[in-house]
Amino acid sequence: MTNGGLNIAQSHSGQICVVTLTGRIDNTNATDVMSRLNTLIASGEKNILVDLGAVLYLTSAAFRALLVATDEAERNAARLTLCCVMGHVRELFEMGGLLDAFTVLGSREEAIARLG
Amino acid sequence: MQYIKITISNDPANLSVLRETLDRFGAEQGIPSEALIALHVVLDEIVSNVIKFAWPEGGAHEVLVRLTVLDTGVEVEVVDDGRPYDPREAPAPEQAAPGSRPRPGGVGIHMVKQLVDGFEYERVGESNCVRLTKQCIVGARSQTEGPNDKRRA
Repeated sequence: MTNGGLNIAQSHSGQICVVTLTGRIDNTNATDVMSRLNTLIASGEKNILVDLGAVLYLTSAAFRALLVATDEAERNAARLTLCCVMGHVRELFEMGGLLDAFTVLGSREEAIARLG
Repeated sequence: MQYIKITISNDPANLSVLRETLDRFGAEQGIPSEALIALHVVLDEIVSNVIKFAWPEGGAHEVLVRLTVLDTGVEVEVVDDGRPYDPREAPAPEQAAPGSRPRPGGVGIHMVKQLVDGFEYERVGESNCVRLTKQCIVGARSQTEGPNDKRRA
């Protein structure tokens, strides 16, 4: 696994830019997530879907990165959506009281159908 | 009693050393994956806070982390010689104003409180000592099972 336990992959499904995060998001690599998302927003992506289905766990550093990127998206008339927020990751969002802070959809397929 | 002690310098890059050490210790001792995940999160939150805030004057310092298997679970001890600070007293996350997005401040410690069964702090001489305990049954799972074994649902 690269980037200190986190892999960041991106692909397109129509006009939707899908960012797939795999591994752990913590204080060693959350800025990589923020940088990648901000770069995509700056490059003109308007519809970004972040798939968290293969994330083992995340810490508050990840929430900070996602909140900053969501703000950045709004400033650029773009939208950032999360999908596959399940298991431990969902519990951690709930513990942080941040599940409602984001647009969270179900599976990747459902999300792509909704956003496309 | 099995334990491992590791000392890192106050560079956030060294958090990856802690992560790898905890993975290895967890596999060797058979810490259940759910407890191991909780320990990873609390270690990242507590030690990153120490690195960010314990030494406002800057300079090179050390953080000591000790992981100990107890009869009833796992204990994590974090010791630093920074300014006195009890992380349990960190302010709770602020409620977001209606219609606005919440800010992440205070979320980390708020999560730590929910993830562990014991959260103690003591100022010992010139050092802060934080002691966290996570109750679990250690040694019951396969030695080969690791946190990376999570399958995509």
